[in-house]
Amino acid sequence: MKGALAVCERDVRKFFRQPFLVISTVVGPFLTLVLLGSAFGGAITHAPIAIVQESYGPFSSNFIDILQNQQSCEVGVINCQNSFQIIYVPDIDTAQQMLRKGLVKAIVHIPEGFDTSLSEKSNVIITVTLDNTDPLSAAAIGPGIVQASQQLSSLIQTSTSGGSIIGVDLENVYRTFLYIEFMAPGTFVQSIMFVSIIAGGVQVVNDKERGIIEGYLVTPLKKYEIIIGVLLAGVVKALISAIALFFLAILVVGVRPLSVFPTPDLMGITLTMFTLFLTSLGLIAMMTAYAVRFSTADIYRVSSFPINLTLYYTCGAIYPLDGFPTWMKDISVINPETYAVHALRLLMYNGAGFGAVAGDFAFLGVFTGLMVILSLLAFRRGL
Amino acid sequence: METAVQTFDITKRFGDFTAVDHINLEIKQEVFGLLGPNGAGKTTLTRMLTTILVPTEGTATVAGADIIHEANKVRERIGVVTQASTLDNELSALENMNLYGKYYGMSRKQRQDRIPELLKVVELQDRARIPVGSYSGGMKRRLEIVRALVHEPEVLLLDEPTTGLDPQARAAVLEYIERIHVDHGIALLVTTHYLDEAEKLCNRLAIVDHGKVVALGTPTELKRQVSGGDIVEANFSNLPEAALKALERAEFVLQVKRRDSSLTILVKNGAEAVPKIVGLIDSNGGKLRTITLRELTLDDVFLNFTGRSLGD
Repeated sequence: MKGALAVCERDVRKFFRQPFLVISTVVGPFLTLVLLGSAFGGAITHAPIAIVQESYGPFSSNFIDILQNQQSCEVGVINCQNSFQIIYVPDIDTAQQMLRKGLVKAIVHIPEGFDTSLSEKSNVIITVTLDNTDPLSAAAIGPGIVQASQQLSSLIQTSTSGGSIIGVDLENVYRTFLYIEFMAPGTFVQSIMFVSIIAGGVQVVNDKERGIIEGYLVTPLKKYEIIIGVLLAGVVKALISAIALFFLAILVVGVRPLSVFPTPDLMGITLTMFTLFLTSLGLIAMMTAYAVRFSTADIYRVSSFPINLTLYYTCGAIYPLDGFPTWMKDISVINPETYAVHALRLLMYNGAGFGAVAGDFAFLGVFTGLMVILSLLAFRRGL
Repeated sequence: METAVQTFDITKRFGDFTAVDHINLEIKQEVFGLLGPNGAGKTTLTRMLTTILVPTEGTATVAGADIIHEANKVRERIGVVTQASTLDNELSALENMNLYGKYYGMSRKQRQDRIPELLKVVELQDRARIPVGSYSGGMKRRLEIVRALVHEPEVLLLDEPTTGLDPQARAAVLEYIERIHVDHGIALLVTTHYLDEAEKLCNRLAIVDHGKVVALGTPTELKRQVSGGDIVEANFSNLPEAALKALERAEFVLQVKRRDSSLTILVKNGAEAVPKIVGLIDSNGGKLRTITLRELTLDDVFLNFTGRSLGD
């Protein structure tokens, strides 16, 4: 047994001589707890919903008031906020376009004759169209609207002692949509990030450590040629991995992107691939610029782990952004993965065109440009 | 003879530390050795000549181009073999060579003409398509040396080309280097801390210590500069302080160096000195185990010029 103790002592001693390793064993799970816990614990708040109002009167305005004031509370924090953010839309067609572009999560259609029917004590039906490509939000929004209608019903019943029923017809805008489909785009981005860390950054640190980069510098290769070569290779590797996952998701998991099924839409597929390309270049450049600072691959790898977790958990890949507490929303705003996942979802499931993702492309484009410049500067100074 | 490398008061300081201190060297179409212990400034000098470091003061020309103002021309005209291996182990010898050729902008035709021929020089043609990871240390070195020749450089710089190799592989690598110099007629600058290597390979040598050239010449010239003596090596089991003092004072002794249980004594005439040394140690209460008379080596030259041995 003395031998076992000696072996144990060696391992423990070595472990504590590598503070980075010690920290990383705590930081990773802690980040998961805080970020994932906060995301999943949070109620959906300020979910944008479109109201198409075709009837005006005390009942409809009362109903909208109830919706507007409905509160949902974040778990663990006594902080109740409005569930919905109401957007008035003139007609159903416009509302449906907005839903496709991901601008609203649901359409509430208050039909013509709503107020007259209620005053005549007849039954009415409100049609709610849910964007079920975000199944978690849809699951919260639907019942929220049903609850509002019940509140209105009981108000009418107590005041008029009459019995009219307000029915809510919940419709999903897309065919049955699985949570796993919601999660898939984030996985493609995750694979790009993995490649950026493992095949991109580590390669740079290893090459630096082994003197390969110095070997480049005694040849006529220019520094910018070296960094651009490194970035392009990273993009090739990341795209292979992301596209492989795209097909695995379709073939194995059963993800059914609108851009591929039932009829392949070339524009949709092209824009999806362009999103993956832009994301790859941006993330590879970011991790390359970061990696140049390190002299050993171990420390680089361990320290990039929390970056990866933070970006993944705050990008809305596994839980909708509407459910995030404010501080996490703030992180998600500057997180490039947020825009990548957003664009991919719209392109894959909503059949959205360029217009709907232009904003995402703009952010990703600026981010990628900055990161490429940063990696060029970091490379010039760090080597 | 054409000048391959010439330095003009080349100096490199890192903060207060002067790694290379006003070195002036002229290297012709020869095999030139930079000899010195670790930290002497050899590598810093080489890194300046290969344009990785910019001198703090002074400059140099390599293959006719200025290392500061014409760095790109220098890079096109030199081949460099660094101390650590920079081969890609996952790739074959051919792939390694081809990629290197592409860095120099060589066309496919140029590469196809040159690479198989170079692999033949170092007898790697039969293994050209196997990943380099399966090569022995000596084979890797040989490949790296010909890889540095792919673009027909005018000057080849080798930083410790045989470090880490077993004696047999070392001998083979040295042979190839010699052959390349003879067959391709290019200038070679080799840094090393192996004396036998320097003696065997180099036409001329510079002994570098503390960033300065302390001696320069052919190996034979350098040995002659150590005022015409012999070396006596004595192993002892006991050596009182008085015995060492007596040796240092003796008029036939030029220099005494003590290391553990051995003495290295530089004397004017070995045959006469040996009995005198035995007598001196004996009369001062010392006890000798062995005593050997041998010829001067570069190690002794080095000891003479720097006051310490390369092994220290």
